[in-house]
Amino acid sequence: MEILFLNALANGILLGGVLALLAFGLNLIFGVVKVIHLAYGQCVMLGMYVIYTLKAIYGVPLILASTVAVLVMGVWGTLLHLLVIRPLLGAERLNQLLALAGLIIVFENLAHVIWGADLRGLRVDLPVVSLGNIFLKTSNLLAFAGALVVLGILYVVLHRTYVGLAIRAVAQDRECASLMGINPGRIYLLTLTIGGALTGLIAAFFSPIYSVHPHFGGSFTLMAFIIVVLGGMGNLAGGFIGAFIIGVVTSLAAVITSTEVAEIVALAIFILVVLVRPQGLLGARRAR
Amino acid sequence: MGSMLEVDNIDVFYGEFQALFHLSLEVKAGETVIVVGPNGAGKTTLLRSISGLQPPSKGSIKFLEQPIHRLPAHRIVELGLAHVPEGGRVFPNLSVMENLKIGSYVKEARREFQKTLEEIYELFPRLAERKSQLADTLSGGERQMLAIARSLMSKPKLIMLDEPSSGLAPMIVTMLFEFVARIRSQGYAILMVEQNVRKALALSDRAYLVESGKIALEGSREEFSQESYIRKAYLGL
Repeated sequence: MEILFLNALANGILLGGVLALLAFGLNLIFGVVKVIHLAYGQCVMLGMYVIYTLKAIYGVPLILASTVAVLVMGVWGTLLHLLVIRPLLGAERLNQLLALAGLIIVFENLAHVIWGADLRGLRVDLPVVSLGNIFLKTSNLLAFAGALVVLGILYVVLHRTYVGLAIRAVAQDRECASLMGINPGRIYLLTLTIGGALTGLIAAFFSPIYSVHPHFGGSFTLMAFIIVVLGGMGNLAGGFIGAFIIGVVTSLAAVITSTEVAEIVALAIFILVVLVRPQGLLGARRAR
Repeated sequence: MGSMLEVDNIDVFYGEFQALFHLSLEVKAGETVIVVGPNGAGKTTLLRSISGLQPPSKGSIKFLEQPIHRLPAHRIVELGLAHVPEGGRVFPNLSVMENLKIGSYVKEARREFQKTLEEIYELFPRLAERKSQLADTLSGGERQMLAIARSLMSKPKLIMLDEPSSGLAPMIVTMLFEFVARIRSQGYAILMVEQNVRKALALSDRAYLVESGKIALEGSREEFSQESYIRKAYLGL
């Protein structure tokens, strides 16, 4: 039993790394553009199909297929901004939410039409690593390490470069940022492009682990959303911590009970946070 | 000296509500001009329309001979016109240093960032002491100083200040006006909206009185301070 727990804990932490990257994308988009990208997990799903198509059907090497997926999903994010989000920037919050929720249906059915309902998986045989009694899949380890490296790079970009500072400035005070010479429209476009490219990257990390199907994205959108709320909406550090909490909790709950119950536990945490601490663990300080 | 900023006959609306009526104003190179008037007269709107945040629906605004009333705010800064909005509006979750760095976002200013930063730290030693603190943790006066310093980082030719002394303790206000005087002596042109008419007038070259969205009075500092209406209503004499 103890070994089971330790394994669940270790795998929960590994999952937390990738979830942190997913939550980061959702958080960044919310923090900067102030819209909740409800179809974020669905973009990961599309990215996985891109990789699947290239690798399984055209025999493109996985690394190259993943690179293409990052680029394609980046462009996808750009288009999403230009065609859906930008025209709705001045609209009511509710209309923005409905439009983005509508995209869930569009993306899922698009996948249905193109790839069908079957599970599509890559046959990637990677060895299992053992640390004493803990067994970890190399694919999970790679995804974890990759996600942390990317998060590190994003952190440095956000804190050390002009463009990163501009993104943070726009998130805090859009109008005042424009008085600094920053074009907020361009920062929005850039944010959605980065957010899109991240879904491609997450797809690359997920592809060797999971098989994809048209409804694959739903639970990940939900997870990311729970994490973002748990950490405090728009608070990137909060999201990082939240991802590991959710990763470990769901992983442990799945071992004790079942995967279905794990999702219930995650949602129960979500409801509890909204009731007790709606500003989240680290409560995003309000930019005026 | 030639005209640096020329506001010519502008009308500004917020939806249906008209805030400014055929308003004209001018700032010459090196001049310090103040705008006074009651609350809600349209002083803040005037600065917002010049910096591109609330463009006029009629009339024209020229900066260094170039029409700017159709340009978005981020393009106007690049020309050398800085706007310090009411309350300073520093970025609360950026450090003092990051706030200053983002102030030098425009291309020409970026190249000289290090040099300007040293000059700013010399001018505002307090900011150097707090450079790694979040702007959120600063006092009201320090925030206002940071906001002014941030605007200087963009290497502007004209600085617009919107009520820099508002909400500050009297001692801090005195210090703040000393800073404005120091900036002025470095040759920057300043357009300042102020409630503290006496202090602002003391360091101005010319002044405008705005009432109900129109220029009610204008003149040099001497003319302005001798006007009986100003003496009674704004200087309490």
